[in-house]
Amino acid sequence: MKQEKRKKPIWVKPWGYTEGWLIVLGLFITGLALQLATGGLDRSALAWPVNLVVGIIFTLIIVLGWVFLKRKTPVAWLGSIPAAVTSIAMITFLVLLMGFTLQEDAQNPVWVQKLGLSNMVSSWPFIFGIIFFLTSLGMATVKRLIPFKGRNIGFFLNHAGLYIIIIGGMLGSADLKRYTMHLHEGEIVWYANDRHGHQVQMPLALELISFNMEEYNPKIAVIDPHSGRIIPETISEMFEIDKGNRGTIFGYDVEILEFHKLSGKIGDRYEPVNDFGAAPAAYVRATCEEGESTEGWISSGSFMMPHSLVDLNHVYDFSLAMTIPQASHYSSDVVLYTESGDVEEVRIEVNHPVSAEGWKLYQYSYDDRFGRWSPSTVIEAIRDPWLPFVYSGIYMVLIGSVYLMTLGKAPVKENGEQS
Amino acid sequence: MMPFDPTLFTISAIVCWLIGMTLFLFQDKLTVIKISAHGFFLAGVVVLTVLAVMLWQELGRAPMRTLGETRLWYALFLPLTGYATYIRWNYKWIIYYSGVMAIVFLGVNLAYPDNYDRALMPALQSVWFVPHVIVYIFAYAILAVSALAAIKGLYVNYFQKSRDWSPQLADNLVYLGLGFLTLGLLFGALWGKEAWGHYWTWDPKETWAFLTWIGYLAYVHFRHHQPKKVVVAMWVLALAFVVLLICWFGVNYLPSAANSVHTYS
Repeated sequence: MKQEKRKKPIWVKPWGYTEGWLIVLGLFITGLALQLATGGLDRSALAWPVNLVVGIIFTLIIVLGWVFLKRKTPVAWLGSIPAAVTSIAMITFLVLLMGFTLQEDAQNPVWVQKLGLSNMVSSWPFIFGIIFFLTSLGMATVKRLIPFKGRNIGFFLNHAGLYIIIIGGMLGSADLKRYTMHLHEGEIVWYANDRHGHQVQMPLALELISFNMEEYNPKIAVIDPHSGRIIPETISEMFEIDKGNRGTIFGYDVEILEFHKLSGKIGDRYEPVNDFGAAPAAYVRATCEEGESTEGWISSGSFMMPHSLVDLNHVYDFSLAMTIPQASHYSSDVVLYTESGDVEEVRIEVNHPVSAEGWKLYQYSYDDRFGRWSPSTVIEAIRDPWLPFVYSGIYMVLIGSVYLMTLGKAPVKENGEQS
Repeated sequence: MMPFDPTLFTISAIVCWLIGMTLFLFQDKLTVIKISAHGFFLAGVVVLTVLAVMLWQELGRAPMRTLGETRLWYALFLPLTGYATYIRWNYKWIIYYSGVMAIVFLGVNLAYPDNYDRALMPALQSVWFVPHVIVYIFAYAILAVSALAAIKGLYVNYFQKSRDWSPQLADNLVYLGLGFLTLGLLFGALWGKEAWGHYWTWDPKETWAFLTWIGYLAYVHFRHHQPKKVVVAMWVLALAFVVLLICWFGVNYLPSAANSVHTYS
């Protein structure tokens, strides 16, 4: 490729970076004016089938525009790298602003919201930037596609794949539905709530049979009983509680003599029980360096039982405590009823959503006041009809990225040896 | 309680690399020195690999959850990438840079010891967890070396006033690194759909991962179009790595990350 050396007036063929920066500036100012005048784009305006029509027309314009007008300076330029680089720079700048601003938050100052900074993805400057970017990406793809050459396959996978992902993701977001269904044991629920709390009728119903949670063993910690805070120096010494575990924490030799994952307090001791509201408890012995030791029950407690500490009052006014156990798994066993009359019992678990009637059902939340004993669960129902389209783009770029790794060329001898 | 002390492994790896790097300085004197240099440098990598495997078994989960754990993998992959680059393309300086950076990262781990912990929140218990993190850390290691190449290029340009420098190494590493970065990003998207319901939510970490990715994308395109404007390209490459570092460590501190699913300590 030849280096342009001569000074060329702006807007004279062939366009380069200068024209690109001016276009970016123009799009940015126009977008900002539109943003201030009308606010951001309302996504629902693009709902099916508007998004399909927009997507097809936009893509047709790019393909036909290239095929018939590629000799025109602006079209030729759109398929060139200066257009790619300047549109990338515009997107980078806007996403950078987004990276520093809390999105979709009403706490932001008014001017931030007015400029669309707190809802960047729906703001006009961003949409103009994406249109510029997609046009350049689309033109570049068609440019290499016609005439088709086998060696361009990697280029095609990366560029067409990215085009599909972005156009599918942007247009498809108008059809994306994310609702929550709040289930209580024994109730059949046919409706969901959208983000604003409005009820929506669902083509399926769920009935919660049980909410299940498994927990990791808690840890032993040294806390200040007045503030309830863990002593910072002991954080790296905390260890997992299990019968027979032993360790040094805060200079004390601590042994776990007994551990019940679920227990109830009977008199002044804890016994294993499996009742609603049961909590973990451990019998511990702490021996200080001088050999003096103290013993007792510790428990993290639950919504029904108070926590229990063992005081280390020998030298310091600190206590041994049990941390609140962390969930290792949680899931909801539900009966799924569909409009077609199917009844099925399914388990909805984190990372293992269940598909039904074009919806995906996710374990979303539970009543954390009750922890493992939560009598209710929240299931998120998501419908994204554009997903297969976007995924086809994702798979194209996945293959394309492997191709990218092979692009490295044989080394040129350089002065790398000297440092 | 850990039945072994990670600190001992960490220190052994650092010592191996220090000896290895010192021996590399004198490798032309004797074949024995040359062989020992390679041996010590690789021994450091082996020691850390053993530590990673033992941690994995002991914790019953992939040790990739905390920042300290990701630093461990980084300190493992970086010298490995540097060594492979040296063997493949004979850039000796890479050995020192990657070794020193790995030591710095392990040093941070020594200064802030992790409280290793078996707990892995349910959302992270996915088949995507390991490939997503490994591919990313590998990309980060390769791109760190490309950033070093860029800094060297800028140094040669501004301080040695020389144009006799080829960005070929930086290019090769960026192709490789960007490939892995893309895989990591897309694995994350596929995982995100299963765990959080959507493949892309502009979570702050995703926003910054996108910025990192598009930064390297800009580099690749600019290099392709303007192969002679090396200095501008090297600036882009160095800045892209700054964005990468913000994405990796800085996001936790940004006010925009208040609701992120990616904040970990």
